[in-house]
Amino acid sequence: MIKKILSVLLISAMLFSAVGCGKKETSSKDNTNDSAKETQMDTVDKKEEKEDKKLEVLGDTMKYDPNKEVNDGQPITIDFWTWDFVDIYQNLIDQYQEIHPNVTINLIETPWSDYWTKLPLSLNSKDSPAVFAIHNSYHDNLINYMAPYDIPLEELEADFLNVDSHLIDGNIYYMDYAMMTANLYYNKDMWQAAGLTEADFPKTWADVAEVAKKLTIKEGDQLVQAGFNYNGTFNQMVLGLNYQLDQNLFNEDGTATMNNEAMNKVVQYFVDLYRKDGVGSPDFGTSAGESFGQGQSAMIVMWGYYYNQLINDYPDVKFGILEVPKFSEDEDIYAYNRYNGESSLGISKNVSAEAQAVAQDFVRFSLANDEFLVNYSVRANCFPTKLSLANRPEILEHPVLSALAPNIDRYIWPGTMPSTVEDNMKIAGENILYNGMSVSDALAQAEATINSDLSNIDFVPVENMYKYAK
Amino acid sequence: MFKRKKLQSKSEVLLRNIVVTAIVIFNVCFVILPIGIAFVGSFHQWNPLKGTYNFLGFENYKNVFTNKLFWRSMGNTVIFTSFAVTFRVVLGLAIASALYSSLIKHKVFYRTIFYMPTVTPLIAVAFVWKIMYNPQIGLINKLTGLNINWLFDGRYALASVLLMTIWKDFGYAVVLFLAGLYSLPKDCFEAAKIDGASSWQVFRFITLPLLKQNTLFVVVTSIITYMQSYVQIMVMTEGGPGTKTYLSTYLIYNEAFEKYNFGYASAISFTMFVIIAFFSALSFRITNVKEA
Repeated sequence: MIKKILSVLLISAMLFSAVGCGKKETSSKDNTNDSAKETQMDTVDKKEEKEDKKLEVLGDTMKYDPNKEVNDGQPITIDFWTWDFVDIYQNLIDQYQEIHPNVTINLIETPWSDYWTKLPLSLNSKDSPAVFAIHNSYHDNLINYMAPYDIPLEELEADFLNVDSHLIDGNIYYMDYAMMTANLYYNKDMWQAAGLTEADFPKTWADVAEVAKKLTIKEGDQLVQAGFNYNGTFNQMVLGLNYQLDQNLFNEDGTATMNNEAMNKVVQYFVDLYRKDGVGSPDFGTSAGESFGQGQSAMIVMWGYYYNQLINDYPDVKFGILEVPKFSEDEDIYAYNRYNGESSLGISKNVSAEAQAVAQDFVRFSLANDEFLVNYSVRANCFPTKLSLANRPEILEHPVLSALAPNIDRYIWPGTMPSTVEDNMKIAGENILYNGMSVSDALAQAEATINSDLSNIDFVPVENMYKYAK
Repeated sequence: MFKRKKLQSKSEVLLRNIVVTAIVIFNVCFVILPIGIAFVGSFHQWNPLKGTYNFLGFENYKNVFTNKLFWRSMGNTVIFTSFAVTFRVVLGLAIASALYSSLIKHKVFYRTIFYMPTVTPLIAVAFVWKIMYNPQIGLINKLTGLNINWLFDGRYALASVLLMTIWKDFGYAVVLFLAGLYSLPKDCFEAAKIDGASSWQVFRFITLPLLKQNTLFVVVTSIITYMQSYVQIMVMTEGGPGTKTYLSTYLIYNEAFEKYNFGYASAISFTMFVIIAFFSALSFRITNVKEA
């Protein structure tokens, strides 16, 4: 009997020691950081620390005063989670820690594929990061764990675009640092070879069809060069062009509307580009982005992220970027397209009051820091939402952002659109192009599935918050 | 019935207790408990990331059986599994028999070649085959002279994924059947030879019946594996074109990790659990294997 008890105790000890090992490593790391910080702080004359540092106050309406102490000058360590832009965030942290040497911010990078599972679970535990990067498509899983910004709404509204659309019960939990949307990319060499000039830049989708015909090269029936390619990007491309035809994506009751006259017209236009105009084919490669990069397609519509991909993966391709064309020549357009916000940082409500206060201060610092916001916008190829930055040279000289600048207020954010919308429009596109389904049937099927999924999610569209909302 | 061997020493008893207890604890924590949680969760609107857990009764199961996509994915899964298992067994047995034959030289070399795809990660193989199927730059069209968009044409997409899966997995059956063939009693074959049995008769009436246990093992483990296939679908087609190549496990993955609808995904999982158990039991029955 004693042997049995000993066996069980031995196994229990093994298990606990295994669990304990993992935990101990983190704790010892924290302790090392804290003790190092304490030693560092001991060397600083505390009186001197409390004096006004005479640093310049940042911000326009919403200010950040770097001369104010954080956490009463006492050492504190917080975690900051992100999946990307590590160097930009580290630079921001370095600036902040220089101002507040008593604060240590650990930047922790987790790959995108794991981030959205690990983050909500961590936010719901005692190991929650105080600050974290957000993508608004995961809003539903995160919002319950977030603390609202401790910044007056009117200050944010005075400095930033479209703050209202992020209001939840009068609070802002996160907003947008910048806006990403789609542009028309064209290959400069092919443009020239087809005898086209800047005067031929398409203003309307009808122009695109005409230009695409000139850019298309065939050998017999075989397509050699596509004038226009949207393989693999159908859903990204069409979702939002409905606004050009005065049609929202969502009804007033929050349900999605995909099988409407405007969306049918938009989709039919692109189907005709392949089937009637013959300027491309659903079988001409599986990815429009790759095809454009490899010099097989002359024009594509892609979102801002694609610019970095082109620069990094296809450095030899010469390309230009234009604003997305319109369906009519009418200057008075409801909106050019939808945009998606590159969200500002989130703050966990499940960390200590002291950590939350530091997180609030750090977020305010990020929003007031023009250098950070410009760097972020340029890196992400997104237009900054901070009004005072719109005319900065870095923005106006950037190929993507300069194309967006003239009509940047004519883009709509539909809200924290769940992935089911894009996923089902992708299925609709494939059903039309590859499975022979009619445009209307495919859109009706997508609409039904999207609305079924939306009924399980707390999604509120915010198209009505758009400046020119109808 | 075999006679139970009595343990020799106290240290042997101690070791047994430690090992058995550890295995029991592991299985309770990482198998039984998660299955139990998922089963209870299948009756709830459940999103563990958001903290949602609302009782729905049989609503999720009702939605599973009325969902057209579930039935399409089930149909695809049955087709996919049937072909994959059949080809794995037939190819595996045929190649194993060929390698067992005294006519073949360099057996180790061939065994290695045939087993290499099996030990290669599926995700890597799927990416390579995806490029091979590319209508513009892919090897398949170049070799065959065809102009087919293999993974985007509803007529060929599932078959294309199936072909890759068979190529990757048949080596597993080859090795198992080879092991079975080497363990068969030689006297049966010698007796058959003396009686004047042809090669086909030897294979049909001696080799095959003696390999019944191996065949059953390959069939059951293959059914379980292929009923749960989703990596190749995720990499190669994402269920498309449209929903033509949706398999049940891909649907479960999609519901759980894309839509965070864990309750519904759990309901599909338990429906699948019952179906897999049914097919496994059917395999046992067909091969008429009695418990030892």
